[in-house]
Amino acid sequence: MIEVTSDWYLTLSAILFSIGFLGMMVRKNALIMFMCIELMLNAVNLTFITASKHLGSVDGQIAVFFVLVVAAAEVVVGLAIIVSIFKKQESASVDMLSSSKG
Amino acid sequence: MSILILGVILIPFLTSLFLKVIGKFLNELLTNFITLNAAMLSLATSFFLFGYIFFDKFKPLKFEVFQWFPNPEINFEFYLDGLSGVMMVLICGLSLVIQLFSTSYMSKDENYTKYFEYFNFFVFSMLLLVLSGNFLVMFFGWELVGLSSYLLISFWSEKKSAAKAGNKAFILNRIGDFGFLIGLMMIISEFQTFNFLSIFESTLETKPENLDVMIVFLLLGAFGKSAQFPLFSWLPDAMEGPTPASALIHAATMVTAGVFMLVRISPILQFSELGSLIIISMGLLTALIAAFAAINQKDIKKVLAYSTISQLGFMFIAIGSGAYVAAIFHLVTHAFFKALLFLGAGAVIHEMHHEQNIYKMGGLRKKMPITAAMMGIGTLAISGIPPLAGFWSKDEILASVFSKGGIYYGFWALSLLAAFMTAFYMGRHWLLIFVKEPTSDIENIHEAPKNMTRPLILLGIFSVFIGFINTPFFHGLEKVLYETLQSVEVTHLPEGITLAILAVLSIGAGFSGLGLAYLIYIFDIFSYFKIKLPFLSEIKLLSKEVLFLDKVGNAIFVRGLKTLSRKVAVTVDNMTIDGIVNGVAKSFYRSSQQISLVQTGLVRNYVVYFGLFMLVLIVVYLFSPGVLI
Repeated sequence: MIEVTSDWYLTLSAILFSIGFLGMMVRKNALIMFMCIELMLNAVNLTFITASKHLGSVDGQIAVFFVLVVAAAEVVVGLAIIVSIFKKQESASVDMLSSSKG
Repeated sequence: MSILILGVILIPFLTSLFLKVIGKFLNELLTNFITLNAAMLSLATSFFLFGYIFFDKFKPLKFEVFQWFPNPEINFEFYLDGLSGVMMVLICGLSLVIQLFSTSYMSKDENYTKYFEYFNFFVFSMLLLVLSGNFLVMFFGWELVGLSSYLLISFWSEKKSAAKAGNKAFILNRIGDFGFLIGLMMIISEFQTFNFLSIFESTLETKPENLDVMIVFLLLGAFGKSAQFPLFSWLPDAMEGPTPASALIHAATMVTAGVFMLVRISPILQFSELGSLIIISMGLLTALIAAFAAINQKDIKKVLAYSTISQLGFMFIAIGSGAYVAAIFHLVTHAFFKALLFLGAGAVIHEMHHEQNIYKMGGLRKKMPITAAMMGIGTLAISGIPPLAGFWSKDEILASVFSKGGIYYGFWALSLLAAFMTAFYMGRHWLLIFVKEPTSDIENIHEAPKNMTRPLILLGIFSVFIGFINTPFFHGLEKVLYETLQSVEVTHLPEGITLAILAVLSIGAGFSGLGLAYLIYIFDIFSYFKIKLPFLSEIKLLSKEVLFLDKVGNAIFVRGLKTLSRKVAVTVDNMTIDGIVNGVAKSFYRSSQQISLVQTGLVRNYVVYFGLFMLVLIVVYLFSPGVLI
């Protein structure tokens, strides 16, 4: 019987974070990028929970609540931005939004 | 009593101020009334003061107005002794006479009141200069006469040449004043005081070398103000100003300020062998160059200007040979006959409708008999014909130089040559204007108005008789200056037969100069005997161009400095300073242009930077000391 230790959770969260980060780097659809951000946030949440369980403290769980609240607020603002981008250029591609190029 | 000194100085100042403030509302008559009355009042005051010290055996009067600086103590003080008394009366007297002449000469000028405003301001500055009790007050007057001279030279400043001449006079005077200022600084550091009397008392305690350097710097000031070589070329240009102003400033008083100053400091000057030698050699050089230059000028005023420079040279010769009384004597006589000549020239210019070329005159003797006679007196006086004023003073200078012996015999001979040239060019001047066959239409020329001829007659009388104040038989001026020159060793005239021979020689120089002028310009001896002199045209050109001194000086100093400063401006300012400033700005611009390329505008790239930076942070965190893993 393989025991599921904290390492497994941490590894999972690292993998999830990396997937999210990679997605941010390679995809150009704003919606997909947004999902990647959510993925990364949740990977971090998983780390907090793991640490909380491992150390027997609730601090990590409290942090998770904060992250969830911030993420919810971020979704509201972010989706609104995406909608306005879409209205402007009939596509959600962020590569076209390069007017601040140096 | 001594507060009257302040009165003498303040009357012209207040007149000038008054004319400045309400000048707009004055017509010519009111201006005349104010300025002439003020001039008479100050002349009366100065006569009264002179009489007072005369009966007090020329014991000096002192008057301190206020304390200027506490430590070292410098007061704003005045000092009236025989020397400043003579100058004071001279200035006030000539000021009155010349202002009377000006009322007619300047009539119908649009800036009539302004002219008298400047004129009175000049008189004030000059009185401040001569009545000063210490070097600092003197320096104030010294600078103010420079200023008022500048204002009067460029009085008709809408004429470009007049404005330029004013600038030239001011700048060349600045060079001299710069030397004077350095001399003053040396005096204050050496003696801890500016007061004349305190300095003269402690002269012997200073080192002779220091004294020499001090004197040389003070001399530079005197050379600038009195138009001596090499700072003389401003005076001929200064003739752009109104003629009566030239008569007072550039003939009678201001240009003699240098002579006055040197006589004032004679108690120091007598200890400086070097200073005396410089003074006499420069004076002689100036007298000869200026006399040579005067021979072939065609402008009626320029001849007189060069003649003034030459006569100032004579005064410097006198000072250099230790004959201080003779220098002041020549100053006084010269003031009268040169003012007379200038005013006469002014009358001629006025009647010839501002024609100044003497070759276009001629024959004016019949049309302007009074002017001709008075200028004739002036010419004879300056040529040294007895018993007119110039003879006594010039002969005294020549005799004093002779009596020093040694190398001074050479100086004497050259001075005699200069005296001969003086007679020659003055003879030419008078003959060309008044005697030679007229070359242009002079039918409509009349005698000058009474306001012009009366001052001329007055000055003519003085030019005849003023010489008698100091003859070998009656030492009047010597007695006046006795108190001033008490501690000074004054060169005395030779006695008896030597003096007589010297006098005959100098009279001979005068007569032969005048005679030669008559032979050449009226009798026309060259074409009569069909003589052709070699190099005549070259000599004429040299004289006309003043040995090209002005041109050479212009090329070296003016144009040379211009080129140099332009080069400096290009290399230092344009290339170095502007280069640094612009270079810094340009490098920032370039580098920011390069750095801004990092901002691609692609969000994905920013994510990559973000990740890389996080990696860097992690690596730093892992490898920094004290991290437990």
